[in-house]
Amino acid sequence: MSKRNLLMSFAVLCMLSTAAAAEGPKAGGVVNAVIQPEPPSLMVGLVQNGPTQMVAGNIYEGLLRYSPKLDPLPGLAESWTVSEDGKTYTFKLVKGVTWHDGKPFTSADVLFSIDFLKQTHPRARGNLVQLDKVEAPDESTVVFTLKQPFGPFIGIFEVGSLPMIPKHIYEGTDFKTNPANNTPVGTGPFMFKEWQKGSFIRLVKNPNYHVKGKPNIDEIYWHVIPDAAARSVAYETGKVDVLPGGSVENFDVPRLSKLKNTCVTGAGWEFFSPHSWLWLNNRSGPTANKKFRQALMFAIDRNMAKDVVWNGLGKVATGPSGSAIKYYTSAVPKYDYDPAKAKALLKEAGYNGEKVRMLPLPYGETWQRWAEMVRQNLQDVGINVEMIATDVPGWNQKVSEWDYDIAFTYLYQYGDPALGVGRNYVSSQIAKGSPFNNVEGYSNPEIDKLFADGAVAFPDAAREEIYAKAQKILVEDVPVAWMLELQFPTITRCSVKNLVTTGIGVNDGFRDAWIEK
Amino acid sequence: MLVRNPGGMIGLAILTIAVAVAVFGPLLFPTSPWRMVQRPFLPPLTMPGLPLGTDALGRDVMAGIIYGARVSLLVGLISTLASLAIGIPLGAVAGYFGGKIDDALMRFTEFFQTVPSFALAIVLVAIMQPSIVSIVAAIAIVSWPPVARLVRGEVLSLRTREYVQAAVVTGQTNWWIIWREILPNALSPVIVLASLMVATAILLESSLSFLGLGDPNLMSWGYMVGAGRTVIRQAWWITVFPGIAILVSVLALNLIGEGLNDALNPRLAKGGR
Amino acid sequence: MISFIAQRIAKAVIVLLALVVMNFFLIRMAPGDPALVMAGEAGAGDQLFVAQLREKFGLNQPLPVQLFLYVKGIVSLDLGFSFRQQMPVSKLILDRLPATLLLTGTAFAISLGFGILFGALAARFAGTWADTAITIAALIFYATPLFWVALMAILLFSVTMDWLPSFGYETVGAGYTGLAHVLDVAAHLILPATTIGLFFMATYARMTRASMLEVNRLDFVKTARAKGLSDNVIQRRHVLRNALLPVVTLAGLQAGTLVGGAVLTETVFAWPGIGRLMYEALLQRDYNLLLGVFVVCSAMVLAFNLITDLVYRSVDPRIEFAT
Repeated sequence: MSKRNLLMSFAVLCMLSTAAAAEGPKAGGVVNAVIQPEPPSLMVGLVQNGPTQMVAGNIYEGLLRYSPKLDPLPGLAESWTVSEDGKTYTFKLVKGVTWHDGKPFTSADVLFSIDFLKQTHPRARGNLVQLDKVEAPDESTVVFTLKQPFGPFIGIFEVGSLPMIPKHIYEGTDFKTNPANNTPVGTGPFMFKEWQKGSFIRLVKNPNYHVKGKPNIDEIYWHVIPDAAARSVAYETGKVDVLPGGSVENFDVPRLSKLKNTCVTGAGWEFFSPHSWLWLNNRSGPTANKKFRQALMFAIDRNMAKDVVWNGLGKVATGPSGSAIKYYTSAVPKYDYDPAKAKALLKEAGYNGEKVRMLPLPYGETWQRWAEMVRQNLQDVGINVEMIATDVPGWNQKVSEWDYDIAFTYLYQYGDPALGVGRNYVSSQIAKGSPFNNVEGYSNPEIDKLFADGAVAFPDAAREEIYAKAQKILVEDVPVAWMLELQFPTITRCSVKNLVTTGIGVNDGFRDAWIEK
Repeated sequence: MLVRNPGGMIGLAILTIAVAVAVFGPLLFPTSPWRMVQRPFLPPLTMPGLPLGTDALGRDVMAGIIYGARVSLLVGLISTLASLAIGIPLGAVAGYFGGKIDDALMRFTEFFQTVPSFALAIVLVAIMQPSIVSIVAAIAIVSWPPVARLVRGEVLSLRTREYVQAAVVTGQTNWWIIWREILPNALSPVIVLASLMVATAILLESSLSFLGLGDPNLMSWGYMVGAGRTVIRQAWWITVFPGIAILVSVLALNLIGEGLNDALNPRLAKGGR
Repeated sequence: MISFIAQRIAKAVIVLLALVVMNFFLIRMAPGDPALVMAGEAGAGDQLFVAQLREKFGLNQPLPVQLFLYVKGIVSLDLGFSFRQQMPVSKLILDRLPATLLLTGTAFAISLGFGILFGALAARFAGTWADTAITIAALIFYATPLFWVALMAILLFSVTMDWLPSFGYETVGAGYTGLAHVLDVAAHLILPATTIGLFFMATYARMTRASMLEVNRLDFVKTARAKGLSDNVIQRRHVLRNALLPVVTLAGLQAGTLVGGAVLTETVFAWPGIGRLMYEALLQRDYNLLLGVFVVCSAMVLAFNLITDLVYRSVDPRIEFAT
């Protein structure tokens, strides 16, 4: 507990001291950050890995950006209007924007990007399912017409979800083998300069960026350091100034935050809202029984996990939706840590000591420790747990092929239940071959209807009512065991200012950052 | 024999202690090493009953070392036995029959020695997905070639001895000759090699666990070092003590190997090896 | 002699091809495939996405066809294409190979040089405390897990004393050239090379000591002593040269394996070599890259074995060639 307070107070102290010394941004400087793991590519239209989005979010841009409260902010679009019936969205683009190779950015690029992404970007495909047509009446206007009102639509224009792709480079080519994929061209504040595989990626300032006076920073180096301990050492010895969320093990955060000139913030993940839970196989094994699943929720000590494994960072999850996501409600059944209740439920469920296979997430020590802790919790109430070890591809395969009983996971929620929550609970998303859809096999026609209605309900209040009902039902049924809303703290030198200002933090934050000498 | 060799005696003593810990330790310390017993990151000697402190989840490091002894020694022993089970027959057949069979078998052995052994071990564990079985199998598969070569060499030289000729003349079958006449005499260098192989197997297992490819249901020393690696700055004891345990065990086995070598190969012993 | 070399090379090629075939199937036995890995990292993926990736990676063709295409490529020295990294495998390997060679070459030189030195000293002063100290030190270095030594080294020299850098090949963004660059790389090289070097040094030291003691008992040394030559001259000129033969043989055989064996060190020190490349390729199921690294490493082992055999033969003409 004290660790958490220390962290919070330190963060507050940093913020206060920065406010006190409020001066204008200074130009110039080089920032050294780490990127882990090394992205396979920087062409974010084709590859949407976390690391790719983190680096490429500063090279490419989307039509909109989002504040930490997930309100839309101007990006490549300077203004926008939504029609009364919620079906027509009109965007006015910023004028005078050029791609890094000097060619002008126009509405034709937007149209091309929509086409491109429908073919290559699974999430964009899903987000654009309500799109009827998109038109460009002139060079700086784009009009989207939807088949039905779709509330979340304004939230899909983030740079990683719908990046703008240069038409003049990709039109008529085979997207996947276009040589330009190795030298990404965007409209963003930083240009791709150099990539030494296995060592670093180098971005340099875009002198013709469309926001005057930005960016302030001259160059960014993203260092590839595969070992978590080595990353911490790199920061300590001054070789690296920015440790984006998730780059060091949580156990190291308290120690690093005590170093001088170090500021830590948990912000910058509001758009993604990483939510962790345990997939519970609803089809077979003891987990197919609802009472067994409820017993699991009572048996697991999530507060201790938050304090010990995650160093006090994050929040205990109350249901399928993160607290920063729209229409979240806490008016749902509660599952506090109660081993006695768990044991009683296990008896009612008729559990007879069968072996239950648990699959940890092979993403590092924090997840391994967490799995061990949960195993302990379950063994304490009499569940016979066997831990299965896999590497990442093995995990992907086992989960996609439904070959598990309990499996750890975490997913991003993208601000709106229609974009990031529904896919895990509706029957239409039950399909082998993906670890991100309705993997647990939960099928409830009422839920299907609620999510289908909620996506296109209008106005907002209607959606709120629908999703509140859905959350209550889901928490009662426990299709998966929700664990924690994760927090991935970003650690920086205090002299790197204004880095985390949007809902996606470091991913597009270098635009507004500056270095105090 | 061994008394003349102080190193060997020390090694034997250490190994005996290690085996005793592995066998009797869990009886004296019944709490599972996976149990979270106290606050995390307790330094050593700060709380009675926890002489080596606790790890990231508040688990007793001492218990980990004791239960880890069982795993590390077992893995070392079984994988070595498996290696021998592959290498001895192969080498014996190659050395005894010679000619084309020898050629083919040696090509096969060379083949396995060409792939970097640690890399191959990693691939094998990744394929079979980490578990105690896959680790033992992987270690055995990458470790048998030197055994085969050694046995082949010994059998080749022993094949020409008089007592073997005598057995051939009296009409004993080949297998009987190999089994009863040759192998027993070829075994002494194999025993020396085996003791060194157990040491190497323990190092291999700890390296695999360090990389995260260990069996997650078994607490082993390598696993503890790997788990403590990310918190080495605030809790050095989580990595140092298991590291020392590995070091001491491997050292003991090496000393025993050298002692055995001196004892069983008297021709070299005079040089003071 | 020429026919010997030709025969050996021919055999090596056969071994290499057999290795390729074996590894080709072995790697595909691991669960998961590169398409699933990429989909997994994207945090979102549907059937279409994974299917597109499989198509792009050429995974939809029947296995024998894939194998045939791959072997055909190998024969024309084309190691294939890494679809994940969007680059030819040979380029990826060639980019990283020099770093590994630098690391293992330096480690090799350190271990051989110091190993022979300490082994000779131990043999010279056999039975004294110096001998015992060296032998025990050698045993301890041999028994300590490599990754542990690496961590301790970083802790001591990088963090506590801040003498040496803890990761990477060079100080990125500093733009050193010429001598400054050489010094920068050297500073980054010291810790990882010494970590590996210590381990092998122990082996060479023990072997040198044993070998020298054995040679010292031989008749020609007794003759040299009888002739009145000084001890130093005897040791250096007669004993050392003969004693080094088994050491050099061992070194030659180990040299080949060093290339693929630096995985642990490269991971802990973030050294951009092919050991780490191989491990990452395995985790990403980047089949072509993984196979490519195996092929290169095995080829080096075979090459070094051949060179060692030739050196051995030229040094000691009594050795028969058993082909």
